[in-house]
Amino acid sequence: MQARFMLVALLVAAGPTGPVPAPAQQPTDTRRAIESLRFPPLRFNPPLPKRVKLSNGVPVYLLVDKSLPLLQVTFVSKAGVAHLPDSMWSAGWQADNMIRTGGTNQLSPDSVDKLLEFYAVQFQVNTENELSQGFVSGLSRYRDQMLDLAFDLLRNPRNDTSRIRVLAAQQEENWRRRNDQPSSVLQRAWNQVMLDDHPLGRTLVRPEEIQGFAPQRFKWTEERIFCPENLLLGVSGDFDERPLLAKLESLFKGWARCKSGLRQLPPVKFADGPQTVLVEKDLNQTSIRMGHAGGLRVANTPEYFASTVANFLLGGGSGFSSRLLQRVRSDSGFAYSVFSFWEATPKREGQFAAGAQVRAEKTVAALRLIRQIVGSMATEPVTATDVRLARDNRVNSFVFQFENAGQIVSQQLSFAVNGLPPNWFDIYLQGIQKVTPEQVNGVSTRYLHPKRLVTVVVGKPSAFDGPLSEYGPVTMLPVDSIRR
Amino acid sequence: MRIAHLAALALLAAPAPAARSHAQESPGERLPVVRHVLGNGMSFLLLRRDGAPTVSFVTHFRAGGVDEWTGISGTAHLFEHMLFKGTRTIGTRDYAAEQALFPQIDAVADSFTAEFLKGALTDSTELKRLRGRLKQLEDSARQHVVSNEFWRILTENGAQNLNASTGNDLTNYFFSLPANRAKLWFVLESDRIRNPVLREFYTERDVVMEERRLRVETQPFGLLFEEFLQAAFRAHPYGRPVVGVASEIQAVSRDAAREYYRRYYGVNNAVVAIVGDINVDSVKAWATEYFGDVATGEPHRPVVTREPPQRGERRIEVQFDANPIVMIGYHIPSANHADAPTLAVLSQILTAGRTSRLYQRLVIRDRVATSISSFMPPGALYPRAFAFQGVPIAPHTTQEIEQAVYEELDRIQREPPTDYELERVRNQIDASSYQRLQSNLGLAFQLSSSEALWYDWRRTFRDQATQARVTAADVQRVVRTYFDRTNRTVATLVRPSQAEKAQKGGND
Repeated sequence: MQARFMLVALLVAAGPTGPVPAPAQQPTDTRRAIESLRFPPLRFNPPLPKRVKLSNGVPVYLLVDKSLPLLQVTFVSKAGVAHLPDSMWSAGWQADNMIRTGGTNQLSPDSVDKLLEFYAVQFQVNTENELSQGFVSGLSRYRDQMLDLAFDLLRNPRNDTSRIRVLAAQQEENWRRRNDQPSSVLQRAWNQVMLDDHPLGRTLVRPEEIQGFAPQRFKWTEERIFCPENLLLGVSGDFDERPLLAKLESLFKGWARCKSGLRQLPPVKFADGPQTVLVEKDLNQTSIRMGHAGGLRVANTPEYFASTVANFLLGGGSGFSSRLLQRVRSDSGFAYSVFSFWEATPKREGQFAAGAQVRAEKTVAALRLIRQIVGSMATEPVTATDVRLARDNRVNSFVFQFENAGQIVSQQLSFAVNGLPPNWFDIYLQGIQKVTPEQVNGVSTRYLHPKRLVTVVVGKPSAFDGPLSEYGPVTMLPVDSIRR
Repeated sequence: MRIAHLAALALLAAPAPAARSHAQESPGERLPVVRHVLGNGMSFLLLRRDGAPTVSFVTHFRAGGVDEWTGISGTAHLFEHMLFKGTRTIGTRDYAAEQALFPQIDAVADSFTAEFLKGALTDSTELKRLRGRLKQLEDSARQHVVSNEFWRILTENGAQNLNASTGNDLTNYFFSLPANRAKLWFVLESDRIRNPVLREFYTERDVVMEERRLRVETQPFGLLFEEFLQAAFRAHPYGRPVVGVASEIQAVSRDAAREYYRRYYGVNNAVVAIVGDINVDSVKAWATEYFGDVATGEPHRPVVTREPPQRGERRIEVQFDANPIVMIGYHIPSANHADAPTLAVLSQILTAGRTSRLYQRLVIRDRVATSISSFMPPGALYPRAFAFQGVPIAPHTTQEIEQAVYEELDRIQREPPTDYELERVRNQIDASSYQRLQSNLGLAFQLSSSEALWYDWRRTFRDQATQARVTAADVQRVVRTYFDRTNRTVATLVRPSQAEKAQKGGND
């Protein structure tokens, strides 16, 4: 077990130190009482998982924690559904469902269900666009049962036609219900406007794709996503390293290499504004989202760290200490939910967006206010106090990244599959601490463009407090013409 | 292994989970929890755990939606929001100046409410004027406010999962801190319990109205659930939405919220669980230091009303522009009743997992539904409902789901739960009895709510152990006892016809 000495050193330096004063008399001014609190330094060496390689090259991250008789094995594949040819996207998107429900070469779908539920084993798999992941977990005394089953499901999926029929019926119904919830309408409209038909913008399988569901199509995607060279494993909980690794070796034995046929993620091009799109729906609350390309990747650069602080202070993580929640919710009472996100990955830029669900008769006022707040990140610079809030929050809460073995292992898997170094969290924490108000102002000026926002609105225009056209032409997007 | 057909699955050569004698005691019952009750009746449950230096705090008050009086539904929840608005010294620049403005603001709010309550006779211009005035006054009070300071202090100290929620029976407040900052909880919470200031009240009332729209009025599942409870519970306040009836949210006054606080937020009604890397002795000392001199409040008085026996099936339709959903519910006793563990096992056998009877039939075999679930809303303290929720696959109908539910309930008598079914449930209980102990916050929740409901933190674990002893005959008996047609409420979400839509449009 290695310790994170660097982190510890950093925290001792950053946290207020000094002796803890004896309990004082009950203070009357709580603010002053809090200012006078002195906290002892947090002494903590987060355990780091051990990394080993199986004989076939699959990396395994191991972290023992025997406090409870539970075991979890997490798996991540570097392949995602967007790496499949377009014609295979829908099969890949639902392959997770078929892996779990469709049986294996040796076990009927019913047998799989019975075994998993009888042993109280949880098995989950998600095929996502840019990677795929899952886990198996349960009582550690069923280690072999859970691993045998999980590997059988991943290696030898049967894609039984009886279960394809179940899946097809469910997906057809999901399609039928696609406009029942405002959040689904907004998300799908937003994806279409921002990403057109790019796989990153797809969330639903279309009826004609459901018609095409067939065992060999699922199989084609499964054997390309879940195959040894793509996989990384994490093991946490109650286990002994040696027998566990021997078990994993035996489970991988004879598993064929990944087949060819995957592609790179197609280039991502986000729509540009200004443009406003209205989806009419009879609702007394309007769903709003506005945004544009985020412009930045996750990287060890001052700009990236400054962007995370900017988003924190705008509406992405500081809760009521953010400008959006303060002004749209607390000051104006327009909304219960209001937020921002500024996505990025190490490989590509993501989206920047702000959103809210607002009282219908304050729709235009809220749009105006949110745009103004986005713009304020550049025009009303954040203060040193604001930046310190973001920094203190991140530094003081670092320990919550290491609360249990499963979380620590997942973090390492995530860094590895994203091509980030194992000490990325330390780098991040140091990066955050160097961010200055000027840098936050700089990234806000360079990357947030209130005049180029794409805005999507779902609601009932006759209930609005005015026309949406004050920001230029409005395009109507009938709810039934949202393609996915 | 008792189950022959499982052995036949062979390949995985799974040794049987040696028909274990399921422990008589759940591992949670053995936790070294220290129960520390102050002289004023405030209860603390303290549990030191190894692991990362974090500590989670969960407080439950014996105060919920059921405690509201007529006309103020939603106040328990609105008050919960108000506890984030600060105190006499947190969240303010000048508390005296703020307070001096409250009577004027409240007077305008009262006029607004009076105009609003005229209904058809409401003068919309006047209503708009009063709303504008109210906003203006609350904005001017804001010059004295340090808005969201409570939140900001916790944010800079690295608090996680900061939130609260209001239920029918209880209200909870929670967050986690790095262990070295545990004392901050005592300073902040002792002030917030003693000295809450209901500032920015009327703006927050609007926020809560949007929360209602978000969760209920624009959500088919939320709307159907609310209407189902209203149909099933006519006398008991379980029929009243915790988020509040729209007209009452819009009319509730600061005085009503203050009165709610006075009646129900005595520290004797508070149960705090503190779980994580703590020094139990220091925490005990802080509890006494910070809360020991808070005056005892009024004792918790259980709701008197008992839902009268239902005298025939109730069926309602809820119109909403969405595809159909059905809820089917039966009145059952409170979670304190001896039959509660058996009902929990019944729920497992019928709908938990892909091998459950109704899932097998409706989702896998007949492809009639995308999902079928069962649960026991809306609370625990009082007699509640055993409810099924099903989502049909067109052209199949909610009637087909109903039919299947009724047939499967009948089938329990002809084909009692098998050894496999019961053993599966017991194995699930076995695993979850450990899984539920994993997180500090989760554990603090369980301890605190169990103590708040039943004055016994072990109760939640013991109930689970009791479930493991339920027999097939028990399950058959509860089905015979509670699942009568006359005891049933069925609520169906239906899309209004074009004609009905047009009519409604005309009335707007």
